[in-house]
Amino acid sequence: MTFNTEFFMKTLFTALRGLPVTMKITALTLLISLPIGFLFAVIRLREKSVSKKLISIYISFIRGTPIVVQVLIIYSMVPSVLAAVFKGFNLPINIFDLNPIIYAYIVFTLNTIATLSEVFRSALSTVDRGQLEAAEAAGLTPIQAYVRIIIPQAMVTAVPNICTTTTNLIKSTSLAFLMTVKDITAVAKVEAAYGYNYIEAYMDIWIIYIVLCTIVELFFKILEKRLRAYKA
Amino acid sequence: MQVFDYRYIFRYWPEMIPFLGVTFLTVIISVVFGIALGALLAVGKMGKNRVGRILANGYTTVLRCTPSIVLLFVMYYGLPELMIGLFDIDINNLHKGIFVIVTFSLLFAASMSEVMRSAYESIDKGQFEAAVSVGLSPKQAFRRILLPQCFYVALPNFGNAVISLLKEGALGFTIGFIDIMGKTNLIVSSNYGAHSREIYLGLALIYWIISILLEKLLGKAEKVFGKGRRVLKTN
Repeated sequence: MTFNTEFFMKTLFTALRGLPVTMKITALTLLISLPIGFLFAVIRLREKSVSKKLISIYISFIRGTPIVVQVLIIYSMVPSVLAAVFKGFNLPINIFDLNPIIYAYIVFTLNTIATLSEVFRSALSTVDRGQLEAAEAAGLTPIQAYVRIIIPQAMVTAVPNICTTTTNLIKSTSLAFLMTVKDITAVAKVEAAYGYNYIEAYMDIWIIYIVLCTIVELFFKILEKRLRAYKA
Repeated sequence: MQVFDYRYIFRYWPEMIPFLGVTFLTVIISVVFGIALGALLAVGKMGKNRVGRILANGYTTVLRCTPSIVLLFVMYYGLPELMIGLFDIDINNLHKGIFVIVTFSLLFAASMSEVMRSAYESIDKGQFEAAVSVGLSPKQAFRRILLPQCFYVALPNFGNAVISLLKEGALGFTIGFIDIMGKTNLIVSSNYGAHSREIYLGLALIYWIISILLEKLLGKAEKVFGKGRRVLKTN
């Protein structure tokens, strides 16, 4: 077996250059998805309206289809929609000048909102209804009650699932190369193709993903310990 | 710019749907191998052997952090090299489905081992003691008393794992495997990318329908196997 150790070491550092892109997609996606996911969860729990029905269909669709198909749909749909919008508003933006990372943000945000809203829904339903009633009876407004009483308690159950969502998100970002985003996987693919050193390059990114996910899991473990103070 | 033509969503279904067979076959074979390896790992995790525990837990940790596509690539490019290096066997011409099955069996085993372990640990120890005390041998007690209960507890998680396996399986096209996803890609490229939006949307609909059907089936199975079981009433 021919394992090119020199290439392996060199590509490890080359592939790391894609790390900021992977982190950027993960971080921004989470930042947008967390509040929207929470909002969707509250709507699904509290209201019996059309919006609840629509959100349920949206979540079912996202959870029922492969993320790679979602990637392909967004990547084949959004550019032409954006082009039409730019044209409609007479904006002098060429669709081909846009950084494809935008499409990655859209796909992964749509996906993560659905997962997180399920996470928050189950977390919120673990908090006893009496807590909200007691808080309101004590004179807090519904928003105050949520922020000070309900959310801290729900967080304790939500954090392990948010951890799983985050690691899954990091893993999913490896599909961004299909949209010509230059993340870790894309960089490794290009490096590998030069001299047909596929195994070394893919072993490199495998290691990077394992280390990255392990760090994230450690971070959430610490967070979980801190939050346990809220649990009665 | 092309206009969105909804007719294209369904237009290629007759060509795509026959390839569902390939998709299902890979899922079923991966599930079978995944359960076998997963059971082995679960035994390792709960066993007394320290090395076995470390190996089984390490395997799960590593696989949980591995993107499916990366494992697929590592297997596709690495396995032939490994086979030549170790056994001098050339498997470069092997059917691509084999690599897909190997990859997803390995991934499914990792989640399966966790499902089995948590199911086994959820069963009250008293059940085993009671069974043995009425005269069953430990083996009988396991097979007739513990296993059916484990099965019921594990069912929802097993179902979710199968559904996500079905979805992850769509990645096989990246190594040129022709299942329903691969076929769809072929259709798109033979159209020079025209109407790709509609065609991919059609594919998504097929997956969506299957996922919903699987979930329904799972709900039914839970009802059947949960017969006579007293569950906590929740409102």
